[in-house]
Amino acid sequence: MSDPSNLLLQSRASLMSDENVAQPTYEREAEGGCGVIGIACSEKIPAKHLLQSLVQMRNRGNGKGGGFAAVGLVAEEFGTTQKILENDYLLAIAYLDPGVRTDLEKRFIVPTFEIDHQGKFDPVPDYRSINGLSVRPPDVHYYFVRVKESVFKEFQTKFKLEKLERYKIQDEIVFQNSFALNQAFYASLGEKKAFVLSHGKNMLILKMVSHADDVVRYYRIEEMRAHVWIGHHRYPTKGRVWHPGGSHPFIGMHDALVHNGDFANYASVSAYLEQRKIKPLFLTDTEVSVLVFDLHSRMYGYPLEYVIESLAPTTERDFTMLPPEKQKIYKMIQEVHMHGSPDGPWFFLIAQSEPQKNLQRLIGITDTSMLRPQVFALQTGEATIGFAASEKQAIDAALESLAREDKRFWSRADRYWNARGGSHTDGGAFQFTIHPDGAKKKLICTDKFGHEISIQSAKRPAYDRTKSTPPAKPFAVKLTDTADELAAKIIEKMPSWGYGEVLGILSELETSANEDCNRGRAIQVLTTLMDRRHPAGNLRRSSLISLYDESLARIVESIKKNPTTAYGFRDQSKPSQKPASPDQTLVIDARPYQPEGPDSLSNDLVKMYKLGFRRFMVVHAHGHRFIGNGFGIDSKGVRMDVYGSSGDYLASGIDGMEIHVHGNAQDQLSQIMKDGKLVIHGDVGQTFMYAAKGGQAYVLGNAAGRPLINAVGKPRVVINGTCLDYLAESFMAGDPLNGGGFVILNGIRFDDDANIMELDTPYPGGNLFSLASGGAIYARDPYGRLTSDHLNGGEFTELTDADWNLIKPYLDENERLFGVPVTRLLQVAGKTVSPRDIYRKVRPGKVRALQAEEIWVHKKN
Amino acid sequence: MVKLNSKSPEQMITEKHVLALREGFHRWASLELGKMPALGDARWTADLIYANWVQAETGRPPSNGLNFQTGNSEGGFDLLDFKFLPESKWLPASQEPDTSIPLNKRAYDKKIQIPIPFYGGGMSYGSISEQIMLSRARAAKKWGTFTSTGEGGYPDSLVQYKDNVITQIATGLFGVREETIQNAPIVEFKYAQGAKPGLGGHLLGDKTTMAVAKIRESVPWVSLFSPFPFHSVYCVEDHRKHIDWVKATNPEALVSVKVSTPTDVDMVAVGSYYAGAHIIHIDGSYGGTGAAPEIAKKNIAMPIEFAIPRVHEHLVKEGIRDEVVLMSSGGIRTAYDIAKAIALGADGCVIGTAELVALGCTRCSNCERGRGCPFGLTTTDPELSQLVDPDWGAERISNLYKSLQFQLRDILRKLGLKSVKELRGRKDLLIYRGNHV
Repeated sequence: MSDPSNLLLQSRASLMSDENVAQPTYEREAEGGCGVIGIACSEKIPAKHLLQSLVQMRNRGNGKGGGFAAVGLVAEEFGTTQKILENDYLLAIAYLDPGVRTDLEKRFIVPTFEIDHQGKFDPVPDYRSINGLSVRPPDVHYYFVRVKESVFKEFQTKFKLEKLERYKIQDEIVFQNSFALNQAFYASLGEKKAFVLSHGKNMLILKMVSHADDVVRYYRIEEMRAHVWIGHHRYPTKGRVWHPGGSHPFIGMHDALVHNGDFANYASVSAYLEQRKIKPLFLTDTEVSVLVFDLHSRMYGYPLEYVIESLAPTTERDFTMLPPEKQKIYKMIQEVHMHGSPDGPWFFLIAQSEPQKNLQRLIGITDTSMLRPQVFALQTGEATIGFAASEKQAIDAALESLAREDKRFWSRADRYWNARGGSHTDGGAFQFTIHPDGAKKKLICTDKFGHEISIQSAKRPAYDRTKSTPPAKPFAVKLTDTADELAAKIIEKMPSWGYGEVLGILSELETSANEDCNRGRAIQVLTTLMDRRHPAGNLRRSSLISLYDESLARIVESIKKNPTTAYGFRDQSKPSQKPASPDQTLVIDARPYQPEGPDSLSNDLVKMYKLGFRRFMVVHAHGHRFIGNGFGIDSKGVRMDVYGSSGDYLASGIDGMEIHVHGNAQDQLSQIMKDGKLVIHGDVGQTFMYAAKGGQAYVLGNAAGRPLINAVGKPRVVINGTCLDYLAESFMAGDPLNGGGFVILNGIRFDDDANIMELDTPYPGGNLFSLASGGAIYARDPYGRLTSDHLNGGEFTELTDADWNLIKPYLDENERLFGVPVTRLLQVAGKTVSPRDIYRKVRPGKVRALQAEEIWVHKKN
Repeated sequence: MVKLNSKSPEQMITEKHVLALREGFHRWASLELGKMPALGDARWTADLIYANWVQAETGRPPSNGLNFQTGNSEGGFDLLDFKFLPESKWLPASQEPDTSIPLNKRAYDKKIQIPIPFYGGGMSYGSISEQIMLSRARAAKKWGTFTSTGEGGYPDSLVQYKDNVITQIATGLFGVREETIQNAPIVEFKYAQGAKPGLGGHLLGDKTTMAVAKIRESVPWVSLFSPFPFHSVYCVEDHRKHIDWVKATNPEALVSVKVSTPTDVDMVAVGSYYAGAHIIHIDGSYGGTGAAPEIAKKNIAMPIEFAIPRVHEHLVKEGIRDEVVLMSSGGIRTAYDIAKAIALGADGCVIGTAELVALGCTRCSNCERGRGCPFGLTTTDPELSQLVDPDWGAERISNLYKSLQFQLRDILRKLGLKSVKELRGRKDLLIYRGNHV
């Protein structure tokens, strides 16, 4: 018991004893998923850039809780000095009943702290002026405080903490003071009076009963700047009266946590905490999560990697893939802390300040089974910015908002990726840390194991938006050039270009698009440039995409002004009209539409289809869901091109139509797809093609967790990258050689020069084709990385000529769509080999038949 | 060539068996042969089975002394009784209490009303035969109520009854396509089943015949296990998105959410309400098929008579009770069970097994293995399924409905209530007969 962390815990014994902690007067709150976004930036960025992201994710909350945390603040904005900001605790208190302030200060602030500075937020005068606010938000006062020396000494002596660093004792005094304050003014009362929003250094939390974007509006903090932001919409499902204390983020000491999910073992985690003298007061699973985090990081002093391991343990095959010394440590962590490990779907975002080192940090951790959607992103330029969010579209919204006001940013990240929860590859967690760098700051992104996530292309200059680049004319565009010829010419020449030449050619395309006959070509060329991975010399891909986006937006504007028989524009303010010609492409700007419901884009698309339109071009999508749903039986002949950030469930249930997604796609795509074709020029999210019945799909990049799960019939899919885990679990798609379905997994990626590279393994997950009874996986595995421990019920078998003849046409189409040559796919280390030396087939195993009847059927085959 | 007999030997054999079975249902229920040894169980007693057969034949409850109201389970609805008014205060026989209930109480979306406070629950093609599905659909159409596809596809023969067929979307999404969602006036998400909470549906290999595999587009003779839960739904916000998906596919549809009865079923119900469901359907632990694993049956979920008041009162407390329809199922056998469930707080009930009993089910529990049911109910065996002719089946179910409505009116009259809607949540009209207090 002489261990300092134990002594520190012991100091809580009396404070948190059953006699002293009244049972809260409310029941445990239930809540489900939520919408979250986190941003970390080497520059301090204003809150307003989160607004659009949060507005676009409102459908992930229900307005009954929203909040923010900001870390790495600006001293002047609080009317104080940098020294005080960095050294003092920033105690922010929400007064639901402003009348208790004097009493509260007298009991909990003045006796414990020296107050160096204080102030209050100045909200909008009438909360009802913010649509949807049903409860008056609390008044928020903040106090920059230091622990009084006398209080410190008394605490140190009383609990024999002489051996402990001074700051650790001070932190604990602050923590316990806040606990007592919350107990006195919140938890024990029927009528809630006040509670501590945050008490860490250089960090602030604001939260209330609303959507998160309302918090920014209500407290008028649009211009407030910080290095790290996390925002959260909550979706509580119980109670008629909500209190802001139940909103996220929740605090540990210098950390704020928001949570998307709902785990099953709240009782177990609470018991685990109670054994360690920690009592939750707000009774939500988020609060216990942050308490576990605080316990492990601050009290036990674990390095972040071990804290992450304790929350999202590495299991199954991933565990066996760890180096032996890590296995040893992880095993110990799991044995001791398994009961404190949240079980179920969750995704944590943590904003943290580390005052001793003057670091600020954003951490995103995903659960071992990857049951919640999560996307990470990074953009590196003059400023570096990292993101973690529930949806990619939320990241793009923030980047677009930033790019509009701050020329150092542009609208596309250099890299977007998903985490593999509890994995041996990245650990399912990423942190973005702001380090001092001379007079400036720098952002470093690492995974759980400390491997840095670097952007290879960062060495290439981004397009400098702070000054104007004169357009150059690299070559004359001939009227007779077809779109394919023109795109090929541009791609061929681009490696020798600067941004001026790109601007020049884009401008020429735009000008040509004023004429109807050239519109199609201009759009097609731009689309090819966006989609195709090609060498671009010294130009950065994310900058180029950003420029293509803007160019396409201008062409769309010209179509809007001057629609023609080839390209019509959907103007909602006018009565809808039938297509001017059978082939007319209807251009639809997604921005005015709701993401779902009666006024959704998906409903209007169905309406236009019923009017006779067969070609659709959807632009400026930002999370619009269900695109292509509802067209019903046999939609052959429909083609839809989607630009921007399309939303969940795209192409679900389609039966014949063709949809091209120009960019990354989100979650739950092509659920129950029946027939047709889906092409994704990027990555695709969770549960892709869940229970699909048929159709073809081509994915240029990766699929996240659980693609093709429970699929039946004859879906045929090419994934050029890989999947996180659970590919084609319970696949039931017949015999592929006899009309059934299959998945081709190519296991490749593109480097920055658009060279095709082999992934380390075609499949990093531990569960491949588990419990499948039909169909097959054709995995390109040049180095034989797949082993039988990937399988649970499947078996490897040699590729036959019949197999190759079956999949070859799909690889040919894949080549046509993405420019991935079949000849390259048949190369290992530059040497061409036969298909059977590089593709391996996984088919359902016959040994695990559940019943005599099944064995009987297999015998007949 | 002269045909001596236009019937094939198979047809003649089938006819013989059909005749014998029907005669049996009639004669056993008449009690002229006494009571069969070893028929039924404590919940579904021999009396309840015979009484059901009488009702399926005559459209009235039996008058030969069979107990058609309660079983012998010593629990659940069997220990509840009504506090009927003295006869002088009954409504006059001339007054017919209203037995209809609405299925959409939201201010928006299509209004659907059913004339009787119950509809048929989900039973998949594969678990039951097409003939049984048709029998149920025809009865539903005749009564203006509903039956449900269960999770096994939508046979073409059902399309002509689509206005009375609920499309179920369960975790395996078997046979769910856009048109089956668009066909349906009501789409039911089956998150869980009271008979086996925490488990998905399953159909063992021997019942996955070529025809069943074809409609589910799976591999024949391989057991089909639906996952638990939906892979696209791990949170209430996913649940809302899931409902929005159905509304995007079929904006007209009402959405029912079927859940089992875990201890936090009240919160699940509120979550479903906020996600946009019109109907919350709670399925208690007494129901389910013979195919549910023994370990799960009756052992996991909360009994329905506990779950109903808990959900009802919670919805009242949350102030949303009158915006959502609460349907209950899981062991609803009789008109008395229906009335008790409603008095406990449900708007109406969903019935399954009672319909199969009407078609001759003896509760023998041979549902899942081999060729399935010897009475041609829970089978897709091409020969056995001939034993039920859909028209005969529809009439039996329809007669049962008629008797249930007749008894419900009788109960309401004796309670002095003009409408079944007035009965909802009137726990005060019930008496507990047990000695477990």
